[in-house]
Amino acid sequence: MTAGPTLEVEGLSKSFALRRGWTDAVARRKRPAHAAVDDVSFQLAPGEILGLAGGSGSGKTTLARMIIRLVEPDAGRITFDGVDVRSLSGRALRETRRRMQMVFQDPYSSLNPRMSVGAAILEAGRVHHQSGSEHPEQFVARFLDFVRLPAATARRRPEELSGGQRQRVAIARALAVGPDVVIADEAVSALDVSIQTQLLNLFLDLRDELGLSIIFVAHQLSVIAEVADRVAIMHLGRVVEVGPTAEVFRAPRDEYTRSLLAAHPHPAPLRASSKLREETS
Amino acid sequence: MSNALALVRSRRWSIRRLQNWELTTGFFVVGLLLVASLLAPYLAPYPPNQVNVLVALQGPSWHHWMGTDFVGRDVWSRVLFGLRIDVLIVALITYLGLVVGVIIGTVSGYVGGWFDAIVGRVADTVVAFPFIVLVLAVVAIVGPGLKGVAIGIVIVGWALYARLARAEMLSLREQPFIMSTRALGYSHLRTIFRHALPNLVRTSLVYSTVDVVVNMLVLAGMSYLGLGQQAPGADLGSIIASGQGYLLSAWWITTLPGAVLVLFGFGVSLIGDGITRGDLAQGRL
Repeated sequence: MTAGPTLEVEGLSKSFALRRGWTDAVARRKRPAHAAVDDVSFQLAPGEILGLAGGSGSGKTTLARMIIRLVEPDAGRITFDGVDVRSLSGRALRETRRRMQMVFQDPYSSLNPRMSVGAAILEAGRVHHQSGSEHPEQFVARFLDFVRLPAATARRRPEELSGGQRQRVAIARALAVGPDVVIADEAVSALDVSIQTQLLNLFLDLRDELGLSIIFVAHQLSVIAEVADRVAIMHLGRVVEVGPTAEVFRAPRDEYTRSLLAAHPHPAPLRASSKLREETS
Repeated sequence: MSNALALVRSRRWSIRRLQNWELTTGFFVVGLLLVASLLAPYLAPYPPNQVNVLVALQGPSWHHWMGTDFVGRDVWSRVLFGLRIDVLIVALITYLGLVVGVIIGTVSGYVGGWFDAIVGRVADTVVAFPFIVLVLAVVAIVGPGLKGVAIGIVIVGWALYARLARAEMLSLREQPFIMSTRALGYSHLRTIFRHALPNLVRTSLVYSTVDVVVNMLVLAGMSYLGLGQQAPGADLGSIIASGQGYLLSAWWITTLPGAVLVLFGFGVSLIGDGITRGDLAQGRL
């Protein structure tokens, strides 16, 4: 894989303050806080797909949002391409955000309902002065082609598209700003299984074609098994286990990982999904 | 695919055009009144302030559609010119209030923090203050005339829109498509004006149809009380006021201009209902 920038996260933490009742105030108890993400560290190599798995409330989404600073971390370091992301502001922050794009979970609300597909993709490119964006039609068609949508989709509005198509548009819009890293936050979780498989394959293709690094957040282990090179399992805000996907799924060392694998509808997600992939490709 | 889409499109059209009789009727009524008032100088059979005591207090006839008042002025001509000035002022102040209010509210909801707290409290205070009393106070300062009334209405008017827009912005802010503009590295201004505003202005537009009617009545009411349009200028309120002494002998001076006022309010309300219904039919509001 071509040598792109590396993303490194070290000791990232975030807690959300809970309400302090007046009894707590009287008793001079400290404001209670819930640690959403607690001392998380990992690395993302260029062209790598890192799966981020864990149950609901395990802090996956908060972690993902902290990386592009949609949520401010309380502590820890984020280094991207040698730059300390947490120290950035203004133009430099926007530039870093451009290089790390996010695809959200709900394709029904992640697109502006009043903007056509083409306008949304073009805007993303124009804002960041991406090359080719001076020729609207070709620019839009190029990115629609990346996500396997016909060029005619440009004239559609989000309400005319299916969930899977919208998610492709959201991906195309993210790609239009020219990112190095894409963070897919439960990007396929809201879609049905056959569409999921198509999109997962799309992510794999994009990694190969564009050399993207991808952080793939999902609660479904079968999804992670399908795409991720390495997987990090999160539980109650902490990363309890990291390792190559096959290894972790075959021989989980952490107890929580084991229970997560056992609770999964497919006893062996790795086998089940690799079969699925053969069928669809 | 394209056939199915064409079908969807044509169905949406039929919903808008056929089922939405409110919108159609509303636009028709308001449109008619607007055209009539805009073309007042051409349509009015007499100059609005032309006095002719020889024909004073005549009932509706072919010569004077709405009769004449106590000095023989043609009521129809006065209504046309009066409507003109009322519609002009009401549209101006209502939508000035809307633009100012929506911008303030949206920015306030987007920025949050102390700015939002201050804007919120100010808006609450203005809204809580009795509307008419505030307008009267402004008139007392500026002096009687349409200007004072207009200023008073704008001072109050923006606040409701600000609260509406702020509330909408607060819920929009949590929507992924607004969050994603930050992730995409868009500027705050672009997020607010290109992505948030077009998606929240609709509620304010619907509300403005109610507001137009209310403001129209306040304006006419102030003129009726003698605090708005000053003699001999005509506006609906002052025409109605001028006829109240003759209500039993010359009913047309008050009743017919009053009917025009009601008709205008009716039409605007229908437009508001129509927009709301059209949205419901499309599953959004």
